Amino acid sequence: MSLFDRIERLMGAQPKSKNDAKQRLKLVLLHDQCDISPKRLEEMREEIVAVMQKYVEIDREAIDFKLHKENGKIALVSTVGVNRVNSRQVA
Amino acid sequence: MPQCIVVTSGKGGVGKTTTSANLGCGLALAGYRVAMIDGDIGLRNLDLILGLENRIVYDLVQVIEGECKLKQALIRDKRVEGLYLLPAAQTRDKNAVKPDDMKRLIGELKETFDFVIVDCPAGIEQGFKNSIVGADRAIIVTTPEVSAIRDADRIVGLVEAHELPEPELIINRYRGGMVARGDMMNKDDILEILAIPLIGMVPDHEDVIISANKGQPAVFDEASVVGAAYRRITQRVLGEDVPMPNFDRQDEIGFLATMKRWMGLAAREAV
Repeated sequence: MSLFDRIERLMGAQPKSKNDAKQRLKLVLLHDQCDISPKRLEEMREEIVAVMQKYVEIDREAIDFKLHKENGKIALVSTVGVNRVNSRQVA
Repeated sequence: MPQCIVVTSGKGGVGKTTTSANLGCGLALAGYRVAMIDGDIGLRNLDLILGLENRIVYDLVQVIEGECKLKQALIRDKRVEGLYLLPAAQTRDKNAVKPDDMKRLIGELKETFDFVIVDCPAGIEQGFKNSIVGADRAIIVTTPEVSAIRDADRIVGLVEAHELPEPELIINRYRGGMVARGDMMNKDDILEILAIPLIGMVPDHEDVIISANKGQPAVFDEASVVGAAYRRITQRVLGEDVPMPNFDRQDEIGFLATMKRWMGLAAREAV
């Protein structure tokens, strides 16, 4: 960020909207291409988290669950914060 | 070898008809024999953009239904040698034409013309299917807006499903000032998302509306920046390697430009 950009921002200029456009587009295109709605993805996330909770205590604030596209292939990438590993195995 | 090019976009209002008209006229100006087909049955407009609306006698549906000969329906554009328009029907619906009819018609046109340009309607239904079926090559028009790009991405997939070669992209209504301020996706942002080759960029300019008002495509106007953009696109369609000019206006970035805008001193988007 240049000095002028910083001054502009200090003076109340809006952050660049093209970045919003690009991010939102990338996400919506991924969903379009896999034919999965954000709601369905959310359901999948909840179900996976529920399974994981049987084994570890999850930090629900620290869950990153996203579709990514790399080299034309779609991947589901997730990072889940773990507070504590449950020492006792759940049956 | 004769070639049929479909101009498509998915979303409406991004400039398909303007692009078709300018590309068709550009190719004719370059000395080729060109037939333009308005694929938008029921909502024809290519005739109006070309200024040929008063010369329509027969239309595409009448040709297909055998009411007239193909030759009778083709309107000759008097401005340039070898340029013809096959207008769409205005009072029929798009289901009056089947993909097989279009394929046959385009095959027939390719016997006499070097290029057949099909102006595809918006959407992905029957009109799109009719327009793409006879094409050898697809040009996708988009604008730097989220909705247009999303629809363009959908069309890229459909074009590939029709076993056409990789479509080429035209970015229309590019506003250098907004791009410089970071309020419009730039060329590279769009190409990163759509990942197809770029064949041209057209600045957002009042010439487009003025030329539509007159029924005289900008490509005929030697002094027009829009005309120049379409002339470059024509050359690239013909396989020439023409560099892409930089439309990103640097003069509008920075603190001073912002102050000027606030004070109303800078032109509000001249391009």
